Amino acid sequence: MTPGLDHLLDVVDVSFAYDRRGPTIVDSVSLAVTRRAILGLLGPNGAGKTTLLRLLSGTIMPSCGRIALEGRPLSSFSRRELARHIAVVPQETHSAFDFSALEIVLMGRYPHLGVFELEGPDDLSAARDAMAATGTVAIADRDFSTLSGGEKQRVVIAGALAQASDVLLLDEPTASLDLGFQFEITRLLAELNRDRGTTMVVSTHDLNLAAALCTELVLIRAGRIIAQGSVDAVLTPTNVRELYNIDADVTMHQRAGHLTVVPVARAD
Amino acid sequence: MTRGRRLAITAARVVLAAAPVLAPLGDRSLSAGATLPSAAEARRIISIIPATTEMLFAMHAGDRLVAVGTYDHFPPEVERLPRVGALLDPDVERIITLRPDLVVLYGTQSDLRSQLDRAGIPYYQYVHRGLPDVAETIRSLGARVGLAREADTLAAGLERQVADVRTRVANRPRPRTLLVFGREPGSLRDIESSGGVGFLHDMLEAAGGSDVFADIKQQSVETSTEMVLARAPEVIIELRYAQGRSRTVDLAAWDALPSVPAVRNHHVYALQGDEFVIPGPRVGVATERLSRTIHPDAW
Amino acid sequence: MPEQTDAGRLRSVTTLHSRRAATVAAFGAFTATVCLLAPLIGSTPIHLSRVFDRTIPFADNLDAQVFYVARLPRVLAAAVVGSGLAMAGVVFQALLRNPLASPDTLGVSAGATLGALVVITFHLDVSAFGVSSIPVGSFAGAVGALAIVYALSLARQRGTSTTVLLLAGIALSALLAALSRFVQVMGDFTDTFRNLRWMMGSLDVASYKEIAVAVVPVSAALLGIISLTRALDLLSLGADAAESRGVDYKRAERIALVSASLSTGAAVSLGGPVPFVGIIVPHMVRLMVGADHRLVVPSSALFGAAFLIVCDAVARTAFRGVEMPVGTITAILGGPFFLWLLFRRRL
Repeated sequence: MTPGLDHLLDVVDVSFAYDRRGPTIVDSVSLAVTRRAILGLLGPNGAGKTTLLRLLSGTIMPSCGRIALEGRPLSSFSRRELARHIAVVPQETHSAFDFSALEIVLMGRYPHLGVFELEGPDDLSAARDAMAATGTVAIADRDFSTLSGGEKQRVVIAGALAQASDVLLLDEPTASLDLGFQFEITRLLAELNRDRGTTMVVSTHDLNLAAALCTELVLIRAGRIIAQGSVDAVLTPTNVRELYNIDADVTMHQRAGHLTVVPVARAD
Repeated sequence: MTRGRRLAITAARVVLAAAPVLAPLGDRSLSAGATLPSAAEARRIISIIPATTEMLFAMHAGDRLVAVGTYDHFPPEVERLPRVGALLDPDVERIITLRPDLVVLYGTQSDLRSQLDRAGIPYYQYVHRGLPDVAETIRSLGARVGLAREADTLAAGLERQVADVRTRVANRPRPRTLLVFGREPGSLRDIESSGGVGFLHDMLEAAGGSDVFADIKQQSVETSTEMVLARAPEVIIELRYAQGRSRTVDLAAWDALPSVPAVRNHHVYALQGDEFVIPGPRVGVATERLSRTIHPDAW
Repeated sequence: MPEQTDAGRLRSVTTLHSRRAATVAAFGAFTATVCLLAPLIGSTPIHLSRVFDRTIPFADNLDAQVFYVARLPRVLAAAVVGSGLAMAGVVFQALLRNPLASPDTLGVSAGATLGALVVITFHLDVSAFGVSSIPVGSFAGAVGALAIVYALSLARQRGTSTTVLLLAGIALSALLAALSRFVQVMGDFTDTFRNLRWMMGSLDVASYKEIAVAVVPVSAALLGIISLTRALDLLSLGADAAESRGVDYKRAERIALVSASLSTGAAVSLGGPVPFVGIIVPHMVRLMVGADHRLVVPSSALFGAAFLIVCDAVARTAFRGVEMPVGTITAILGGPFFLWLLFRRRL
């Protein structure tokens, strides 16, 4: 992978283990996130997707290898600076206290404010735009903890948007949502990517979500990349079998407009 | 040693503070012991209470003591005797092993009592109350151990001593007195004073002082600075027990309250000695010392 | 100017900020009023005119002495202790992401108690800076406990959850409490009274010097906490969530830990381990003003002071001739008030 100007994030030969004597969670991974792409990290539970996302967000440091944001190593950024470039939408968000949806969104403005600086009109309009884009204006004053799963995710996404970052990292964004919310969030993310040009990295184990949303895929199993490239190139029955040990039909769904994966039998 | 003395005092203080609970227990029949008084003498006595240990020695029963309590330190002969615990931690096994024919214990030690009942060992229940009860306890304890005459002599002497003090100060004005037995060193926090009940109060009254907290029917009063200012005592006496450590008497702390007559007129005193907290044969001495402090010109 | 559209539900910035300022000002006014009125309340009637009458020499002026020696230090001590404990409570609850956390949770209170009991039991003379031995020993104990907790927080691996810190703190708390009991039993129980009395809490300080000394760590803590108020909001979403929004989590955690512990240590050293204030006041304040820590922190500092001043005033006037321990009152007043606020919000 030669680093190019259209690479927002470069991951070069990165490995990680939580404990030196423990198992290697991420093993010699190299990938590049191109601008305006929606990169899917696809793999079974425990494959190391979440850890890889945490490495990408700078929350943890690789044991070896390096990660660069626009050519600069992640470790050279301060936390605040990094947050202006990279925002994260975790699988679930729990607040220990009763913040309103708006307050959660406004927290995304933290990297843009000084220590004692209060939110200004810019911050509020960023929040307003983000909430409009995610359809959450109506629930702005509601207590975040009382929202439904889909509403919560939309609020958190709004917060990430308000953070005005170049990259959005999403960890299983629809895993705990029902079909309706799944569809909604998927559509929203695609829209955001299209209208705002937000680069996204989505980790998921849901093949159909990956097919519907992503433009590029990286398949991961046991911490190693087994395939990467465009969705069409990567999402094949062979790869599905290698990832999940399942025989599946991968077909283009005309009406949906993307590949679909239907499991058929165990591959034994 | 000094530590031990202070320990002795503490045992008494514990009882002092627990006194509101103890008081209802006090009555003659109880203090004579739950078992029928035996006509024979008691020859192997265990006393775990500093006051009664002193009483026994004073009535010449010291040679009959086979063991004493942890905090008993007067008279000095006590030091050679084995110790078997006290109010909170009596060593029941040891007590029984020593085969006493009388155990002097606190009225509240119900566990110990039931164990002694089971072992068939007679006991004498001591209840801690006011000054007049000291003489009464001496007499009843003396009767119990078969030294009624010696006990009576001792009690009568004590009563005379106290009466003497009363007479001396009889026609004198009684200054309002604050009797303090606890305070955080170096400050005026956590002041504990004698209330309107108990032998400290009685000694104070006999010595010719008027207790500022006479209206508070408790043995011990947690005293705030506002209370001291409001009560405006004319004399303040702090009781100190052991001459231990660098607990130099820091009466200077009271200077923070200059409107108190005692402070203004320099009538703030410290008295040292464990006779002030052991309601035993030395209360006469204690009362006299109090009186000498309050009414120096009467002596 | 407020928006008129659907997005009009999002208030304008100025309204947000002025509301915040007004709320803090309201708390400030309330606390100031309480501070002014409290020294006038007491079991002894005094006349303000005599208190401030300069013609009467201080030594003869009973009203002035009651005011300046017996009551005013109490009010100030209550303010410092209440404020310190409430602030620490807010910070610990945010740090541990647990509304049930309190200044006692991580063991700093227990350390302060152990320090005090060691001084009382072994009759150590460690007075310094015009402060008597027990508060000095108590603060040393608090700092010792803080050092242990701090070391624990450093020793954790990158990415270990707050739960580990919480559990370690609880274990330390239990260990220190056990050591306290051991000290009490091991030493002569001569000072059992003094131990028990200290542990019930007492604000009858009668000395301005001790208060002034206690103000130092509490002020330092306040500075540290003020720099963190926004970060505390983000911390409540979790370490990763806070970091992804730009909070240097480790640094924030350390500042929070040290500040809250210093505040607790100073408060407990001055007034003993007064229960309930650190856990209840933050909740009461949140029920009144919401969760934004930029509001909750200053409001809690102010309300905590007022709350404890009121409790102490009740403690010394409720029963004639007898003063209740202030901790009893904080429980009796705080508990039902908290319940009332809770139910009111539900309905």
